[in-house]
Amino acid sequence: MEFQIEGNNNKINAELIYNRGSGDLLFVIDDQKYNLKLLKSTSNEFEFILGNTYHYVKILPSTETKYKIFIDGIIIEIKKHSKITEIIEKTLKSKGIANQANNITSQIPGRVVKVSVSNGDKIKEGDPIVVLESMKMQIAIKSHKDGTIRTIKVKEGSTVSRNEIVAIID
Amino acid sequence: MPKISSLLIANRGEIALRVIRACKELGIRSISVYSDDDNRSIHVKRADETYRLGPPQAAESYLRIDKIIEIAKSSGADAIHPGYGFLSENEVFSDECKKNGIIFIGPTARTMELAGDKMKCKEIMKKADVPTAPGSDGVVDDIELAVEIAKEAVYPVMLKSAFGGGGRGIRLVNNEKELRQEFELASNESQAAFGKSALFIEKYLTNIRHIEFQLIRDSSGNGRHLFERECSIQRRHQKLIEMSPSPVVNKERREKVGEIAVRASTALDYLNAGTAEFLADAEGNFYFIEINARLQVEHPITEIVTGKDLVKLQIHVAQGEELPFKQQDIELKGSAIECRINSEDPFYDFAPSVGYVPNCNIPSGPGVRVDTYLYPGCNVSGYYDSLIAKLITYGGDFNEARIRMKNALSEFTIEGINTTIPIHKTMIEESNFINGNISTDYIEKNNIIEKMKHKRDQEYKDKAYAAISGILLQSEFVKKSYLAHRINKSKESTDGGFY
Repeated sequence: MEFQIEGNNNKINAELIYNRGSGDLLFVIDDQKYNLKLLKSTSNEFEFILGNTYHYVKILPSTETKYKIFIDGIIIEIKKHSKITEIIEKTLKSKGIANQANNITSQIPGRVVKVSVSNGDKIKEGDPIVVLESMKMQIAIKSHKDGTIRTIKVKEGSTVSRNEIVAIID
Repeated sequence: MPKISSLLIANRGEIALRVIRACKELGIRSISVYSDDDNRSIHVKRADETYRLGPPQAAESYLRIDKIIEIAKSSGADAIHPGYGFLSENEVFSDECKKNGIIFIGPTARTMELAGDKMKCKEIMKKADVPTAPGSDGVVDDIELAVEIAKEAVYPVMLKSAFGGGGRGIRLVNNEKELRQEFELASNESQAAFGKSALFIEKYLTNIRHIEFQLIRDSSGNGRHLFERECSIQRRHQKLIEMSPSPVVNKERREKVGEIAVRASTALDYLNAGTAEFLADAEGNFYFIEINARLQVEHPITEIVTGKDLVKLQIHVAQGEELPFKQQDIELKGSAIECRINSEDPFYDFAPSVGYVPNCNIPSGPGVRVDTYLYPGCNVSGYYDSLIAKLITYGGDFNEARIRMKNALSEFTIEGINTTIPIHKTMIEESNFINGNISTDYIEKNNIIEKMKHKRDQEYKDKAYAAISGILLQSEFVKKSYLAHRINKSKESTDGGFY
């Protein structure tokens, strides 16, 4: 299977070759063989020794094609490439529902101090949509893609909670 | 003055825990207060008693003077420790405590008032022969006077509005022509915004360091300084890394500026622990900026290099006891560094990051101290300050402390939220930082954010294979458990492992 690390174009090929069933597994990653000793596993957490190094991996809530992984204290996003995911991506794109990407949500709770756009405004990726005040700081919620503002869901002075939709774009 | 037997902590987070620990050491009953967003927080769990203040918003909880006094009285607290932030520098609160017969652990209302008024404070310091940044003594209304003062202070100078704050209303002026132009603009701006022109002039200092002196003064007037802390590593005027001693302060300068700091505390008739903040220029001149009338966030590094417990000292002084040591008895040993771990995403312009922390690993080992409110399963609230942990390391010299910091940072893992750990990991290996060549604009000047991103990409590369192995393990797990489920429908479940 092919994988790709966030922000890096190189593709990494990795397969599980065998699973002896006693916790000893063999992987081939980029044409190199790696022994993996599984120490503990639950449905989304894995402790193992790869080569001779210990790792703790937790698979965070992820989409079909993109994994969010907490590993040894850092978070990595990894894309999985396969024929199936390509087909899924294409279908989603043609239906215009890829990743519910039309909602701009707030990652943090806070009070709206400024609404920077109006309905119908053309915006670019990275443009501030609203400015929130949280933890004594002012933070702009930015658009993650280009588009046109269809609806603004918040007003100046109102409070938003985490993951609340602040605006919808077309 | 009677001995304190019960103490209410009017704060939350790691500082509340710090004070609870001091209470336990002294056999004092500790009383904590909490907002609805904090009812599972560490200061609720660790205090002997705990009382609800109100809704999450600070204005309805930790800033409610009336409620806090009421709880202190009904719970029988003899004293209140305000921590830092919230009501710690509120003269009304200090006064209310006094009126209700409760010992406020901190300076008097009068001293706080003076320390809070920058212009008045500067005036007092000038009288006490404490060097302040060159510039005007007060508000300058007249342009000709402004030109004269600026000439004396030597350009470039800063034109500041007395009502500005947080960087607003500040103009950098390089020569007389610019001053004449900007003075008029700034004056009009101030008029429009505040109804009066209130400008003052201060010398613009380049390549400056932020160096502060820890002070403590008892009710008999004995004042001591506990040496300096260098806090030059900042981001938008927020301290990120502090160290003691400073790489540019030798014994002679330490004694000299320390003595000035004590003089500053005497001029304000200061009581209890405080900090005199200075700006130091490249030539080694120190200019007094202000006195922080509270216990500072970064107090642990001073505790470590002096061996003095500042919170216990605060309680002793508040009980009317005299300081148990003379200036010459205090010794500086080794070197300490503190990294502030904030719940902010350094890769996303330091936006706050809040929420549930399913798990965390707190570093330990030789020379490591962590003051934190984190525990596995805790919650980081968006209603309060973003400081979640202070990682402090100690060594025989700076480099030992620094290497211990590097290792401790790599041990520190916090799940569920983003933190400032990556920027610290980058800073701690910076060659200029290692050589002590630092200033308040270090982060911008040395492209630290870029270097941090580069370091992250490297980390991604290092961890890629292991992370991908995790994905493959999971799909194997899903496949196996599906098969097992089909085959052994009637047998025991295989949840929790597939071997």
